[in-house]
Amino acid sequence: MNEKAKSTNPVISALKKSNMTAIGAVLVVMIIIASISSPYFLDIYNLQSVIRDLAFVGMIGVAQSLLLLIGELDLSVGKIASLCGILSGMMMVTYGMNPWLSLAIALLCGLLFGCINGLIITKLRLNSMVATIGMQGLYGGINLVLTKGKAITGIPEEIYFLGKGNVGPIPAPFLFCIGVLIVVLFLVKKTKTGRYIYAIGNSREAARILGINVNRIRVLIYSLVGLISSLAGILYVARLGSSQSAIGENWPMNSIASSVIGGVALTGGIGNPAGAMIGAAIISIIQNMIVLLGVNVYWQSAVSGIVVVIAISFSSISEILRERKARKVKVG
Amino acid sequence: MNILEATGITKVFPGVVALDSVDVSFEPGQIHCIIGENGAGKSTLIKCLTGVYTPEQGEVKINGQDALKQKELFDKVAYVPQEIDLFPHMSVAENLFIPYEKSGFKGMVNQKTLEKAAVPVLERFSIPVRPDDLVKDISISSQQLLQIARAVMHENYDVLMLDEPTTSLTTKDTQILFEIVQNIRKQNKAVIFISHKLEEIFALGDVITVFRNGKKVAYSRLEDVDIPWVIKQMTGKELDQNQVYYSNKVTDEVLLEVEHLTGERFTDVSFQLKRGEILGFSGLVGAGRSELMQAIFGYLPAYEGSVKLDGENWKLGDPTFSVKHGFIYLPEERKKQGILPVLSIRENISMAVLDDMKGPFGLSGKKEEELAQKVIKTYDVKTPDADKEIQFLSGGNQQKVIIGRAMCCNPKVMVFDEPTKGIDVGTKAEIYRLMKELAEEKGIGIILISSEMDEVRKCSNRIIALYEGRKVGEFDPSSDKQEILSAIIGVA
Repeated sequence: MNEKAKSTNPVISALKKSNMTAIGAVLVVMIIIASISSPYFLDIYNLQSVIRDLAFVGMIGVAQSLLLLIGELDLSVGKIASLCGILSGMMMVTYGMNPWLSLAIALLCGLLFGCINGLIITKLRLNSMVATIGMQGLYGGINLVLTKGKAITGIPEEIYFLGKGNVGPIPAPFLFCIGVLIVVLFLVKKTKTGRYIYAIGNSREAARILGINVNRIRVLIYSLVGLISSLAGILYVARLGSSQSAIGENWPMNSIASSVIGGVALTGGIGNPAGAMIGAAIISIIQNMIVLLGVNVYWQSAVSGIVVVIAISFSSISEILRERKARKVKVG
Repeated sequence: MNILEATGITKVFPGVVALDSVDVSFEPGQIHCIIGENGAGKSTLIKCLTGVYTPEQGEVKINGQDALKQKELFDKVAYVPQEIDLFPHMSVAENLFIPYEKSGFKGMVNQKTLEKAAVPVLERFSIPVRPDDLVKDISISSQQLLQIARAVMHENYDVLMLDEPTTSLTTKDTQILFEIVQNIRKQNKAVIFISHKLEEIFALGDVITVFRNGKKVAYSRLEDVDIPWVIKQMTGKELDQNQVYYSNKVTDEVLLEVEHLTGERFTDVSFQLKRGEILGFSGLVGAGRSELMQAIFGYLPAYEGSVKLDGENWKLGDPTFSVKHGFIYLPEERKKQGILPVLSIRENISMAVLDDMKGPFGLSGKKEEELAQKVIKTYDVKTPDADKEIQFLSGGNQQKVIIGRAMCCNPKVMVFDEPTKGIDVGTKAEIYRLMKELAEEKGIGIILISSEMDEVRKCSNRIIALYEGRKVGEFDPSSDKQEILSAIIGVA
């Protein structure tokens, strides 16, 4: 069998080996179905809108996949995003600070919030899900205190292009998203830290016995996730032209769903952040299709939920097949 | 008439014959003791007699009927496992009556009824707790008795099987347990008593069966034999006794010096390890050997005492420091603590030395592959390629990868914790040879923790015996096996 695999084209055998191939194929099929079932799907304006949405879900999804790889998750990503957006808005509008400086400070705040999440979870030995449910309440609460529920308008127009603009035909936020993906992929595939992430996700105990400083890596990942969340948050502010506490409502769930659809296991150690990006694309297309096909407004959420569950099952079905194969290998 | 009878039982695991056509039978009104070294086949026998495993050959009869065909017959065998398996956050009464067959009306559970019903049971077994106490708050001894009470209070069992029931009991509670067991014998039930503690076996039992290497090697009435006879049957005469694997290049230089170290489950332990030496640690499961080594390694806390490596004070409590400074621990729980299961062999190996894997653009896949191939070749790992996920290798090959990985870190001291657990005989010898080579050629100090007496004696230059967390003796490997065995079971 090995001989045969070696004799074929190396690209094809690499594709065969990669568990991303299946999910990539699903994406292609979805694009085909979408373009057949709605004439508007391939319209340049529609595509730009899909990709602009994808940029945000993708960024957060890629960040979340890092945490899933170590067997944890962060439900406060959306609230960190909106809080950082509001902080930047206040600095720019209320205090009249230089917009670029404001954005940079907002990014640092995101890093800090993520770091706080990580420190609380590692030092107090908390479960990440429970701790970040608490923290998202806190960050969301600060949002309301600062804004009293009102949007901050009058964001300087010079930053609009970050969210609304296009570079050539490509929406600007998507370029940031690709940048994040490249950085994260490099981190995961080419650095020590990346390998340690997989080791921790495989077995935290084995990682410690190997001499890996497990908690330091965990705090680092939470900080990075906070940073990416705040980046997404301020780009969204630029897109809307205002800071709102409603930014990022669906991001925690969408980011987890994208990762899972993309083959990142909730138990840790298995998957690839690029998969989360494909998962995010699938979710964005689903949401776009629901609108294009004119699904009743009240039904949209229900339909989107069902389709996401179906999409998630793809990767777990391939996991079941994988286990069967493994069992055969062991018996044989 | 035998209540429980097994004839010609053979159970095979990949690479190991765990039970080799074993005949054993249990009579009512008799306390039948079973003894054997770790790995002799006792646990496998228990699992065959309680219906957990189905043997490849042979039959199990309960009250004359074929239990392998009628699985419900196994309900007649009440089994009390060695580990406590109660629900810690539930009350004593709830634990006793789970799954509440007769407690309330149609699936409801009446707390008051349960607690009332628990009182006579607790009295009968002299367990000094209240029915509404939470199990996590009562003593280990009471938990063990509670577990036994739970198994026997239904009274519809014919055979009671106790697996090392006294390991966590105080002397007083052991007496209570003995009275309970003797009462049960009077009720004409069969009792199977599995224990390492010889004096208890002689105090309580009627007959004894000895296992060795998956075979039943002896059976006798206890009044006809004595302790030395049992030890001799247990350990047997080793055929390749001549083949030894200890290091021939022990230096005088002290590498590791541990003084009065105390921690979780071990107390005031001192020892020295020399460069190029293999130092064996013998003891029963739970004697504190792994805990001691994990504390030196920094994985578990140490409360008191000091450690020096290469003459310098050693920092405790930091595994990262330990690995960096040449102290490597190879865990007993290989699957949980050793391998990174879904990563490839290559990634498993390079994980320990990623600093050396840097290329011009991040980690270099080429360097990793080279290192992996070197380890695979040097340690004779049987695998088609380095891309294979390590979980699909056999236990012995996994162990070789882990040893190879450890060697990439240039260790000074290596702790092998039960390195041949679950590994077949042929590969065992390879692992022994590897340890010898590492000690002789690289001058590494090796600490070998093993529950197999033969293994420790074959491989060690010196043997330290631990009993209940304390050092109870230091032996030469050529010293009498019975002497060491007596030390680790606390007879000495």
